[in-house]
Amino acid sequence: MQELQDSNPNAALAMKCTVQKDKLADAVNRVMKAISSKTTIPILTGVKITSGRDGITLTGSNSDISIQTFIPLEEDGNENAVVHTPGQIVLPSRLFSELVRKLQDEDVHIEVDSRFIAKITSGATEFSLNGLDPEEYPNLPIINGSDAFRIRKDLLKDMIKQTVYAVSVTETRPVLTGVKWMINDGKLSCVATDSHRLAQRSVSVENGEDSGTHTLVIPGSSLNELSKILDDDDEQLVDIIMTTNQILFKSNNVQFYSRLLDGNYPDTSRLIPTESKTTIDLGTKDLYRAIERASLLAKEERNNVVKLRAEGNQVEISSQSLELGRVFETLVPEHFEGDPLRISFSAKFMMDALGKLDAQSVRIHFVGPMRPIIIRPIGDENILMLILPIRTF
Amino acid sequence: MDHTIFLIDMQTFYASVEKMDFPGFRSKPLIVAGDPKQRSGIVLAACPIAKQFGVLTAEPLGQALNKCPQAIVRLPRMQHYINMSAAVTRFLQHYTHLVEPYSIDEQFMDVTSSLNLFGDPLTLAQKIQQDMQRRFGIYVRIGIGPNKALAKMACDHFSKKNQTGISLLNKRNMEKKLWALPIGALFGVGQRMEQHFIGMGIRKIGHLARFPVDLLRKRWGVNGELLWQTAHGLDASPVSPNTFIDQKAIGHHLTLPYDYTDQQAIRVILLELSEEVAARARSERYMGSVVSIGVSGPFEQHNGFHRQITLPYATNFGLDIYHAVHRLFNESWNRQPIRAAAVTLSDLQKSTETFQLDLFARIEEKARLSAAVDRIHCKYGRTALFRGASLLPASQLRVRAGKIGGHFR
Repeated sequence: MQELQDSNPNAALAMKCTVQKDKLADAVNRVMKAISSKTTIPILTGVKITSGRDGITLTGSNSDISIQTFIPLEEDGNENAVVHTPGQIVLPSRLFSELVRKLQDEDVHIEVDSRFIAKITSGATEFSLNGLDPEEYPNLPIINGSDAFRIRKDLLKDMIKQTVYAVSVTETRPVLTGVKWMINDGKLSCVATDSHRLAQRSVSVENGEDSGTHTLVIPGSSLNELSKILDDDDEQLVDIIMTTNQILFKSNNVQFYSRLLDGNYPDTSRLIPTESKTTIDLGTKDLYRAIERASLLAKEERNNVVKLRAEGNQVEISSQSLELGRVFETLVPEHFEGDPLRISFSAKFMMDALGKLDAQSVRIHFVGPMRPIIIRPIGDENILMLILPIRTF
Repeated sequence: MDHTIFLIDMQTFYASVEKMDFPGFRSKPLIVAGDPKQRSGIVLAACPIAKQFGVLTAEPLGQALNKCPQAIVRLPRMQHYINMSAAVTRFLQHYTHLVEPYSIDEQFMDVTSSLNLFGDPLTLAQKIQQDMQRRFGIYVRIGIGPNKALAKMACDHFSKKNQTGISLLNKRNMEKKLWALPIGALFGVGQRMEQHFIGMGIRKIGHLARFPVDLLRKRWGVNGELLWQTAHGLDASPVSPNTFIDQKAIGHHLTLPYDYTDQQAIRVILLELSEEVAARARSERYMGSVVSIGVSGPFEQHNGFHRQITLPYATNFGLDIYHAVHRLFNESWNRQPIRAAAVTLSDLQKSTETFQLDLFARIEEKARLSAAVDRIHCKYGRTALFRGASLLPASQLRVRAGKIGGHFR
């Protein structure tokens, strides 16, 4: 191999760098989240590697999301990489990520010639990979940072977790497959609904100089991927920059781009009842487990129906399957106020909602057997989960 | 225990009903045919006398009249035939409570327990044949077998061809009689399957019966095994009187009077079909969450398509169905002329069952609106209140209001 390459005088050196294996493996792993093997643009199955003066940038993209990770030459006094000759190359992503992970030595040398052949050496191992022309790799969206704000990473992750579960998984109304973000006056409010349940959460953010109202709808799948690549360095801030059709998340050395969804998101504020006829406080875990047990039978039937009866300072959870049998369980609420009530709802929806709340106890508001159920964690007014009941006869 | 199953087939049912109602036609050739001016102008039924002149079912009326100019031509009276078919079901229930209507002119009976009262199967079959002749004036052919598949094949391939109109297929005579038949005669084998089998060298039912079942299962899954079982005279499906009570799907199909090429025109009939499906779902107290559309091009071209979509909620509201149908149509239509269209609602649940409420579907409002429309239709007829689009020339609403299954009521 060595002779072959050296003996070809036409193959000039296009890029040469040395990078720490762990840093490289970590960076490739993150961009892989954006790369799909099923794409209509073949070059997008590859990962683009750019060596520049300050460090090495990796890019992965499908047409919906793009991820860029940056390995600086130096970080906290440690040397991560050395760039001998700046340049770029696109390499087959799956193969490249696997081989990097399996290399033995701490350093990885990458050398690319003008025919896009990349020689990857580490210790006694040498791979020669056929790369693709980096000039053909699509440009990432250009985003000018005027509409921007910052949010703490752990808050962002929580917000995603607490809303994205409620997005629609069917394409009947495409806009409902996204989470609506509204930024107004230093506050970010997120709403997701699949038309049967709804999740809403708001937090304070550090606004940029622009204080206007921005509304955008981010695909639920993008937020799921974003959540996966954000590391656990929770105190840090994430910069978020918005345009009319793209959003960019910047967190130390990672940039995450997502396309936005078109279409008008329905006004959900009028769907949330403000009054309450019955209010019950219950331990979050106790209720979750009771519903989970009831759902053992409920999930065998259509709609996964669990019944709740609140009466005389007691809450009864029950469920039945015509073929298998029935289950009853009583819970003693921490607080009970209002009229007695019977209502049916999907066990899955209730468990999804409760499972996303960290609070010890929840307060549940009921308006009637055909009206939305509102669940709020006690001690946090910024979170609201809504479930529409199941109509029974 | 071995069952005894009958398949009762009513010969030229529509023609027989006409002759019973008008005894004057009894000895004359009689044809029931659709409107000659429309595409439905084909022979729906021809009595045995007309068939002697060479008249064939499903040929154009004009062609039939060339062969038999003296034939009496009757317009179909579909509602009457449906009522008569139901009356036959009720009559057959005198012999056993297990009567399953299979089509408008075929009924399955499980007479296993009735044999104690009526004697052996052949005696009972002859009695039913005579009683049907006396009561309805309809000649019936009866296939007898230990299950539905054998009874049906006994009737189709033997009773219809022998003198008595009664025949029996069972384990004992199956190899001799059934296995000698061509593979296309097997219950459950359609044209395409027949071609597949012939391509594999399976020309007769016996060939299939002797074919290794593993290979059939590998290639066609459960269906391959099922056909193999049928070839062996095995069929576990019971005669279930409620087959048509627990429905799987509600659908309407419409053959257009001429090929539609204009998108607006097609949308009009899709809307009408959607409303019709919704109205029937409501009248039978069903809601469904899967909507499908089927469209076919002119005879000579095979450019139709069939698509379906699952809605996030169950519905029996016309516009919900139409919006889904319209979306499917737009996604798949290649701008070729349309000859026929069908709209179907499936994954049905009783509308009295539990259902998940929806934030945006406005279920209550729709239910009230539908109920009001249904009451008006019930009192003043389907043409008393309709959507504005049905005033366009493409509309088939008023034509269809007077028809069942595309033929006159």
